[in-house]
Amino acid sequence: MAGLRTEELTMNIGPQHPSTHGVLRLVVKVDGEIITDCDPVLGYLHRGTEKLAEDLQYTQIIPYTDRLDYVGAMANNHALVNAVEKAMDIQPTDRAEYLRVINVELNRVASHLLFLGTYLLDLGAMSPFLYAFHAREKILDLFVKICGARLTYNYMRIGGVKWDAPEGWLESVREFVQYMRDQMPMYDELVHGNEIFHNRVIGVGKMTQEEAIAYGMSGINLRSTGFNWDVRKNKPYSVYDRFDFDVPLGKTGDCYDRYWCHVREIWESLKIVEQALDQIEPGPIMAKVPKIIRVPAGEYYSGVEAMRGELGVYIVSEGKDKPYRLKLHRPSFINLQILPKLLKGNLMANMVAILGATDIVVGEVDA
Amino acid sequence: MSEENKKAPVAEKAAEETPAPVDPRVEKATTHLEIIQGKIVSEFGEAAIEEAGLKQFVPTFVIKNELYADVAEFLRTEPTLLFNYPQCMAGTDYKDYIEVYLKIHSTTHGYDVAIKARGDRDNGSVPTLSSVYPYCGWEEREIYDLLGLNFRNHPDMRRILLQDEWNGHPLRKDYVVRD
Repeated sequence: MAGLRTEELTMNIGPQHPSTHGVLRLVVKVDGEIITDCDPVLGYLHRGTEKLAEDLQYTQIIPYTDRLDYVGAMANNHALVNAVEKAMDIQPTDRAEYLRVINVELNRVASHLLFLGTYLLDLGAMSPFLYAFHAREKILDLFVKICGARLTYNYMRIGGVKWDAPEGWLESVREFVQYMRDQMPMYDELVHGNEIFHNRVIGVGKMTQEEAIAYGMSGINLRSTGFNWDVRKNKPYSVYDRFDFDVPLGKTGDCYDRYWCHVREIWESLKIVEQALDQIEPGPIMAKVPKIIRVPAGEYYSGVEAMRGELGVYIVSEGKDKPYRLKLHRPSFINLQILPKLLKGNLMANMVAILGATDIVVGEVDA
Repeated sequence: MSEENKKAPVAEKAAEETPAPVDPRVEKATTHLEIIQGKIVSEFGEAAIEEAGLKQFVPTFVIKNELYADVAEFLRTEPTLLFNYPQCMAGTDYKDYIEVYLKIHSTTHGYDVAIKARGDRDNGSVPTLSSVYPYCGWEEREIYDLLGLNFRNHPDMRRILLQDEWNGHPLRKDYVVRD
């Protein structure tokens, strides 16, 4: 075959492509089957949330956060209200804190189910997707009952939550926890021992702990390398210090570890929900807060553990009812940055497996 | 909350009664602030730090523009500090200058620090930290895109969210939003 002319091929993937889960474009250079370079092109879903926030009162920003990571919007609500409460020294009521935790953790289960379904779909397994969405729909039904929306909840307020749990809702959540626990072994049977799946993901897209930390990654991407960092444990906020749960860790930082951490986090979230249901007591759902929220002049940063990592809110305030500057530290944006490095030298066929395991939501990447 | 705001009422009380309880978080953060400040000053001299203070219990330093990358590298590698985990980067337009903020955590010692640098609004620049923390690569591109601040020696200084033909930088305070 000597003397055969070869050339580098530039391939365009997206912005409309099923494996990019939104509108992300990748310009990939390939040499035969091997990826030599990758340049992610972002911004197709950029709505200028940070600029818009500068013209809105703090309560008015909450619905905008729903549109960032739209499969885990409860955590986005929580990130904003938590940052404002910390800045103003407001203590939400106990019942509100428990309702927040229950909803955020249910949302985490829903988000991880979506990951499992779509990731396996990316890899060519159709049926887990249908089962995962069936269970996810049950969670979304619970959200409809408490706040009226499936995805964009606008549920939390500074100092509490908007709606109390309707009659029978907490019991339905308890039933769901049991249902989900019964379902989990089925996912394992479907996927976990599957040899084709193992061959696609084990040892693929590896990153080291030092790399992940230097790239500022967080969430499952960081934990899959074995580094124990969970904001719920390391910098406890809300009432997370009252629950007993583990932080699942990976060992090698490959796609398989990232998949397996998602599965085990579902178990841990169910554990938290159950404990919260045991501890929650009747009471008010809103603390006493000023009619117009004015954050005292200064700079504040607070983060929460969202579905994809640490979602931080950096507020610069002049003491007015609107932020002077509101920066969102978005885990999807940060976690995506390492992608070109992971792809280089890999086979083109692994591109979808690696991108899928990074678990990004483009609404959050582009803000 | 600034250091002065937190400490003022405490100081008043202490004068009239028994020593009032100082918020342990402020006390701890103040100790960290003094330690870190001492190390930076002994390495780079007094002029390296333009401002120092606590911002919501995080020691925050405004670093001299030219020394920004060197100080960051020092904070990352100095064995007693080891600030290795960048957690938030933001740029803010303060009308007279543009400020870059970076919050870093030390996974070995378990505490935080924030460093800042200021650049002119017109053709101003600050040194890139992307060689110190790869994390800063995209965040600096975002700041360049939305605030129009250049980062010296950045390997890939392009817009990241807006298209290349975009006029102006939306997060600047004087940016006119068209309907």
